[in-house]
Amino acid sequence: MSTTVQDAPRAQSAATSTTFRTFATVFAIATPVIYTACEMQNWPLFTYHPGTNDVNLGWAPAVRNQGPAMHWYGWTATTLLASGVLGILATLLPQHVVRKIPLALVWIVPLAVIPILIYALRFFWRW
Amino acid sequence: MGLVPDFILDFIDVSTFWTILFTFHALLAVALLGALTHQAASVLMPVRQVVGAGGAGFVTRFRAVHGPGYAVAVCVLWIITFFFGAWIYTKYRMYVRIPIEQQGFWKTQGVFELKEHLAVIGLGLLPIYWLFWKDARNPDYESARKWLTVLLAAMVWFMFLAGHIVNNVRGFGS
Repeated sequence: MSTTVQDAPRAQSAATSTTFRTFATVFAIATPVIYTACEMQNWPLFTYHPGTNDVNLGWAPAVRNQGPAMHWYGWTATTLLASGVLGILATLLPQHVVRKIPLALVWIVPLAVIPILIYALRFFWRW
Repeated sequence: MGLVPDFILDFIDVSTFWTILFTFHALLAVALLGALTHQAASVLMPVRQVVGAGGAGFVTRFRAVHGPGYAVAVCVLWIITFFFGAWIYTKYRMYVRIPIEQQGFWKTQGVFELKEHLAVIGLGLLPIYWLFWKDARNPDYESARKWLTVLLAAMVWFMFLAGHIVNNVRGFGS
């Protein structure tokens, strides 16, 4: 019971912390942009080969007769890492600068990248 | 497939393991879909008065949920569903996508690729989503919270239906 009582103010404190707000805002805006760049430019942090369970750092092609190469895990890792770093760096900025970031961008940017991602998948939209 | 822990295979076979994992993934997705749909309805059509025991219709009750109460559950469900989905993805890439390609179901595959993209983007939105709902009385967050919740709900609906379509094309029993 005492844990619950202590956790509530802690959660409230994190929710109202300007540092966390800055991190979360920049993280939310950066994630769709970086992920889209990773997908379109093919920048995986690593490549996974499910047929052999091998992992290569960075981009690697499929190995002949050893199944496909998976880059999605690597794109995800690149995105979360880069967005996390940007979020942390943003917390070092002065508050008056951070306050100028419109909060609406946290939903407008992800919405805006969806048509770009659909376009990037144009190979599949065929009859 | 090396992504199945060996100790589990002492009790169940590989096929049963993937079936259980996929079923849990699907059930968690249903829970996430329900939670976000309720929350999105509550921000799009907020109920101005407390709903009593009688008098309110189904739609009113559907949207009369306490939004902040769903925030942590949505974050946890998204993360666990994502983790299970990422795990199943290895199996999909080897045993589902290749036959789909061979049969020429390109649009089905494209829809699934988009689902994977949205799952990652949604993951990046969770910290700010959590903050918006935990500090729900902050009027600065009202508009962004509303549209972010609606966007996440729409993404989950798309991902759920895309997964369902792929399962119909080549899921259980194929």
